[in-house]
Amino acid sequence: MTPRSILLARAVPPLYWLMLAAAAWILLRGHNEPGGGFIGGLVAVAASAAVAIVLGEAAARRRMPRPPLELAVLGVLLAGLAGLPGALAGQPYLTHLWWGVDLGIAELKLSTVMLFDLGVFCAVWGTLTAYLLALLPEAAKEEGT
Amino acid sequence: MTAGHAHHDGGVPTWPWAALLPLAAFLALVWGLARHDLPWHLTLPWVPSLGVELAFRVDGLSALMLLLVTGIGALVFVYADGYLEHEPRRGRLFLLLALFMLAMVGAVSADHLLVLFLFWELTSLLSFLLVGFNHEDARARAGARQALFITLGGGLALLAGFLLLAQMAGSWSLREVIAQGPALAQDPRLPAALVLVMIGAFTKSAQFPFHFWLPNAMAAPTPVSAYLHSATLVKLGIYLLARLDPAFNDLPLWEIGLIGTGALTAVWAAALALRERDLKRILARTTVAALGTLTLLVGLPNPGAGLAVVAFLFAHALYKAPLFMVAGNIDHATGTRVIDHLMGLRRAMPWTAAVAILAGLSMAGLPLSFGFVAKDVVSVAKADADLINLVSYSLVAVNAVAVAVAGVAAIRVFWGTAEHPLGRIREVSWKMLLPPLVITLVGLEAEFLPDLNAPLLIAAAQAVSPGAVFEVSASYQFGSLLTATEITLALGLVLFLAWDRLHRAWRRLLWLDRHGPAAGFEHLLHAIPRLAAWLTRHLQHGRLAGYARLTLVALLALGAAAWLLDAPGWPAALATPAQGAAWLVASLLILAGAGAAVLLRDRLALLMASGLVGYGSAVLFLFAGAPDLAFTQFAVETVLVVVAAAVLPHFRRQSPELSEPRLRNGLIALAAGLGSLALLLSLEARPLDPALSDWFARTSLPEAHGRNVVNVIIVDFRALDTLGEIAVVAFSLLAALPLLAGLRNRGAGT
Repeated sequence: MTPRSILLARAVPPLYWLMLAAAAWILLRGHNEPGGGFIGGLVAVAASAAVAIVLGEAAARRRMPRPPLELAVLGVLLAGLAGLPGALAGQPYLTHLWWGVDLGIAELKLSTVMLFDLGVFCAVWGTLTAYLLALLPEAAKEEGT
Repeated sequence: MTAGHAHHDGGVPTWPWAALLPLAAFLALVWGLARHDLPWHLTLPWVPSLGVELAFRVDGLSALMLLLVTGIGALVFVYADGYLEHEPRRGRLFLLLALFMLAMVGAVSADHLLVLFLFWELTSLLSFLLVGFNHEDARARAGARQALFITLGGGLALLAGFLLLAQMAGSWSLREVIAQGPALAQDPRLPAALVLVMIGAFTKSAQFPFHFWLPNAMAAPTPVSAYLHSATLVKLGIYLLARLDPAFNDLPLWEIGLIGTGALTAVWAAALALRERDLKRILARTTVAALGTLTLLVGLPNPGAGLAVVAFLFAHALYKAPLFMVAGNIDHATGTRVIDHLMGLRRAMPWTAAVAILAGLSMAGLPLSFGFVAKDVVSVAKADADLINLVSYSLVAVNAVAVAVAGVAAIRVFWGTAEHPLGRIREVSWKMLLPPLVITLVGLEAEFLPDLNAPLLIAAAQAVSPGAVFEVSASYQFGSLLTATEITLALGLVLFLAWDRLHRAWRRLLWLDRHGPAAGFEHLLHAIPRLAAWLTRHLQHGRLAGYARLTLVALLALGAAAWLLDAPGWPAALATPAQGAAWLVASLLILAGAGAAVLLRDRLALLMASGLVGYGSAVLFLFAGAPDLAFTQFAVETVLVVVAAAVLPHFRRQSPELSEPRLRNGLIALAAGLGSLALLLSLEARPLDPALSDWFARTSLPEAHGRNVVNVIIVDFRALDTLGEIAVVAFSLLAALPLLAGLRNRGAGT
């Protein structure tokens, strides 16, 4: 796929990182404000989609932290693992644990919830991007015939 | 011992020690019976939270079944070692047989209904694997599948029946259910429970109309038939019926169901035995007839029937297993089981002939055999029972067929002169002669030394008819009963002599092949894929507009149903929207999008218009107090529109959607819209139970440290659901990627 517009081709790489940052922010604030892993994952998919449309499938694939399918599986595993600490602590599986870390200026709250939401994020991002990338080149082929 | 044993193929190891396992079990059982009084109990905890425990109880009836299962099991292991001398997968067969034995042991000693069901189903599964042992043979596969379908289907009925019984009795214990049995007679659920349990038992014990799987299971290796289809598996249904009989003996449903089904099965199977030419299938038909007789005996209301059941069950196992082995020996030595080709085998196979004569005597119920005692007890039971004459006479006919079949198996194939000699035949090895000989000798012993077996049989009979007093005597009382025996024997002799003529006449009744229960079952099997294909053709046609239409029609139907059931009024809340301006903007956005979608023809523009509807809904959510939903809706809509816009231009303009009948689709869409309105109004009219949402709102922050209730539900309160959902999403990808890759390759190929 060749870029159709110089402007878009130039704008997309920084836009990608900007959208990913937004996605991360949505993911992190999700527990208290509107947001969360699912919505954050969708924004990340939009970012990957933008790259794939403008710069091509390979470029989008390259910019992912892991190959999409792997990312999806990792996400499910991560969410599943997030339930283990609670189970090991003698509580029902997927009971979340919380730790407060005092940073001096504010207390940072760490929890297995974060891990779980990160898993949801990765699963959504990986799965939908994989679907997207699998559909796009076919469209390109159709164009060639 | 004989010449047949001489050659040993190098690669196939023998398994002489495999028989030690059932033998050890048998000896342990005998030792236990000698040392400890019945009943024995054993209870191990299993799933305490569900009230399921591994509860076992062995009384006389269980002990009798256990002795048959382990004793005949040990001999079948020896027999199989000889029969499958050159079979490389012998280890597999021994493993399956051992597992089957274990399942049978569990089934006949379980006291917990669910444990009994578990072992019951296990025997069905292992029977499937054993019948289909020669899986290269299409007949073996078909027979195994048929047996599995029927017995597992019956197993489901049994489970439902057990659940009902347990509910009524308030206990999972089989003994408890039986103890409460008479008191349950008033319960309106009892008839359903009994019918379900009877269906389960009838499928297992091959009763009409489920009988046909047994003859078709004869594609199994002969050791399997001798073990499963004479002594153990098929007796399991009888065992369960006999076990439950004390509880439900007085109920007309139980009595009529068992006597009617048993008599019909016996007569039907005996009649069909005359249509067979294959020795094993003839024996299988008479096994079905015997099982029918047993079912009938269980159903008899008089207390003496208990002894008749256990005596005949015992006797049948002791003559039918050796006869199957005889059929196997003949097959092994001559390569055929078709009785037309088998004549005068006594010279070549004297030992097999001797076994056949001994077992045949018992089957015919002649004096000097345990079969005689059993028949004697059975006739007494029937005479006491005041049976309807029709049933009585038909049983005489069934017994006459048994006599004739005994003659065929024991005399016809060994005496007489063959028209086409089979060439050089050699007697089979000792491993295939000793087991049937031992079993028939046990039968003889039971006749001459009744004191040895009597305590066991009486203990078993008391489990079936508690409170009754029994005595077993080798009764040679040639009294009034003899006449019945004489009539049976005479009739049997006539049948035996006229066998070929009768056979030819029966063969001509071809409608039996086309319209019998077996044919019905095959039709059913063929109808299932046809139905599936029809449904797939009409529902999964691959046209997107068709799918959308179907969905909308379903929505319309739902709305119409809601409206018809309870026509709601116009709710007051909708008349005065809280935030008028925001709602107006959102509604205008949605209306504009929908209107544009109706008017526009360009696909890209259509996409944008539908996106507008999505954004409008998102705005609506935003002001209706669901920011998360709005957020998600915005994100989903954006991704969808962007991706679709990227993909769409690459598809050629061939979509049939645009040539769809617009007026009809428009009307359907309008109606569906009204339907969803009706659905919403009727939902709105019902009071919403706020308990759950209140609870989530209240506990979200203190218990899960989050103010965003939606997210807290997703990641904490309902985390397991979420985990399942993302797993499904990821798995869908695993399934879809190869399909998409295949599409892509096909696209590249053209």
